[in-house]
Amino acid sequence: MFNSSSWEVGPILRALMRNKVGALLIAIQIAVTMCIIVNAIHIILERQELMARDSGIDEANSFHLISTGFANDFNEQVTIETDLNTIRALPGVIDAVQINAIPISGGGWSMGLQTQPGAEFDGVGTAVYMVDEHVLEALDLELIAGEAFKPTHVRWRERAQTNWPDQTIITKAMAESLFPEEPWQQVVGKTVYINDNEPILIMGIIDKLQAPWVGWNNVEHAMLSPEKTLFSSSRYLVRTEPGRRDELMPKVEEILAESNKGRIIRDVTSMMDTRERSYRRHGAMIKILTTVMVILTVVTALGIVGLASFSVNRRRKQIGTRRALGASQSAILRYFMLENFLISTVGVVLGAALTIGLNIYLVQAFSLDRIDWYFIPLGMLVLWMVGQLAVFGPAKRAAGIAPAIATRTV
Amino acid sequence: MLKMNNVTKVFRTDLVETHALRDFNLHVQEGDFVAVTGPSGSGKTTFLNIAGLLETFNGGQYHLDGLDVSNLSDKERSRIRNEKIGFIFQGFNLIPDLNLFDNVDVPLRYRGFRSAERKRRIEQSLEMVGLASRMKHLPSQLSGGQQQRVAIARALAGEPRFLLADEPTGNLDSKMAHSVMDLLKDINARGTTIVMVTHDPLLAKQARRNIFVRDGKVSELHEVSAFAEDETAASKVANSKQ
Ligand SMILES: Nc1ncnc2c1ncn2[C@@H]1O[C@H](COP(=O)(O)OP(=O)(O)O)[C@@H](O)[C@H]1O
Ligand SMILES: [Mg+2]
Repeated sequence: MFNSSSWEVGPILRALMRNKVGALLIAIQIAVTMCIIVNAIHIILERQELMARDSGIDEANSFHLISTGFANDFNEQVTIETDLNTIRALPGVIDAVQINAIPISGGGWSMGLQTQPGAEFDGVGTAVYMVDEHVLEALDLELIAGEAFKPTHVRWRERAQTNWPDQTIITKAMAESLFPEEPWQQVVGKTVYINDNEPILIMGIIDKLQAPWVGWNNVEHAMLSPEKTLFSSSRYLVRTEPGRRDELMPKVEEILAESNKGRIIRDVTSMMDTRERSYRRHGAMIKILTTVMVILTVVTALGIVGLASFSVNRRRKQIGTRRALGASQSAILRYFMLENFLISTVGVVLGAALTIGLNIYLVQAFSLDRIDWYFIPLGMLVLWMVGQLAVFGPAKRAAGIAPAIATRTV
Repeated sequence: MLKMNNVTKVFRTDLVETHALRDFNLHVQEGDFVAVTGPSGSGKTTFLNIAGLLETFNGGQYHLDGLDVSNLSDKERSRIRNEKIGFIFQGFNLIPDLNLFDNVDVPLRYRGFRSAERKRRIEQSLEMVGLASRMKHLPSQLSGGQQQRVAIARALAGEPRFLLADEPTGNLDSKMAHSVMDLLKDINARGTTIVMVTHDPLLAKQARRNIFVRDGKVSELHEVSAFAEDETAASKVANSKQ
């Protein structure tokens, strides 16, 4: 019987107005819960989006390590050449490079590139990776314009050296930032300046390579500089065939350590571990927010159960009387479900305002993104459902109250 | 129109079995006004609850308006209560959070009447009990007698065939009790069948018919041909019985 008269919205509202406090407290609790849940989910999704970004390299099959020479007769240049040849020759290894910094690892070099020479011009910040001609294969990068490094481009850099090679390969994002007016394809062949006025020719563009700093706004800005470094400590990045990384990590470590006793091998780390460590704060944040959301939802649901149970007990006689006057069990059930729905409605409307308010604050204070509009109706829907689920038990018990309660003096 | 034959009702708890009704027999004719008296615990309320379909029974037959009610579903029983039976309680049982209008509205909504129809009936029945001007008042703003009048208005708004009243004057002083009784007689005179439980012999004597319940049985029938106009005569009958 879906007759409007059996939906007692008016009387329920008027009765609620006479018992405002409890209902209002629950409505406020619903509002706060919705506000926090929606904003938390928004933050979680944002973090997950950050975490899901592609670094550009073959993370699943790559690892890196550090080789540090200490012996008096340690010949760094020879060691690096020998090491790279040894690693590259190993079965299962696709390629390897010496590299000054590991993408998304948290530590590295940055420089500014500018389109005009002169100290008065601002540069565009970029991460710098010093690598040889094996870089595209070792990092699994895609050259989308221009040319790759040849062995002849690659030079050796001493520790104190400040000048730069004449060529570079940059990421597409960097190309677009340097020359926002032009299509990125046409950036190949252009000259930019480093250290205010040292010219560098852009000889190629790669699709994607992230900087070492995952929290950096320009994380997609990277340049490849064709050089090998003589800094007494060398990093090697090794890319293996799929599934062979774990087997090769200890093997490479052992072979390198054995081949030259004048240095030590340390920090043998997979790229997956590097990613995990870099995003650990994000992961922890997601866990904390999820826990808070679950606790808050449970507390709110329990609050609704508590208020509903209390009001059912308080109204036993009234329920019996309603039954005596002709209310079916489903009419009683509906009464409490509807009452909860009305309280929740006040809660979620208030919650929508609070949610937007908190989001505006977060946008201003922490430069978070704005919430997508559909989060609001979704949040309302979820809390309506939490309310209806929570009230169902007490409402069911109310429906089970015997009509004879009406005449029995309790 | 209300026919109970050998109705029994047993309340079972873990410890005891209470035989609230044993072979309870009663026929009530259409238009009658039956007063039920009897000692406390004799089964009067149990009888009224069964008569009003608030409670089920264990044995015997009960026909209401020709319908065997023993096997009805809870939903059907609710509908019959709503359409055919009006209840009046000792404690009035008004809903404290609702004003008089909304209180009388309660059974009409379960009935599914449209809003205009409900409004007409509410105003009419509150008019009949003399409280039409207090529609927006809460029950707590009324005296006991007035509250019971509202309860009567609520019971009658759906125009039931039966009015069942359990000690309707039990919480009222004698002046208010008599005015409520006058109202009930008035209602009965217009054709509504009334069964009223009371412990007040003076009021009982004003009914058309008296029955006496003891130990869950109708033990004594007292037919009164018409309303007793003479109160002293009625009280003499009552006194002679004690
Ligand atoms: N719900 C119940 N559970 C157990 N015993 C009950 C219940 N209701 C009534 N009784 C018992 O049934 C008997 C009749 O009660 P009742 O009909 O209320 O008597 P009266 O209304 O005449 O005072 C009493 O002994 C009472 O204790
Ligand atoms: Mg009783």
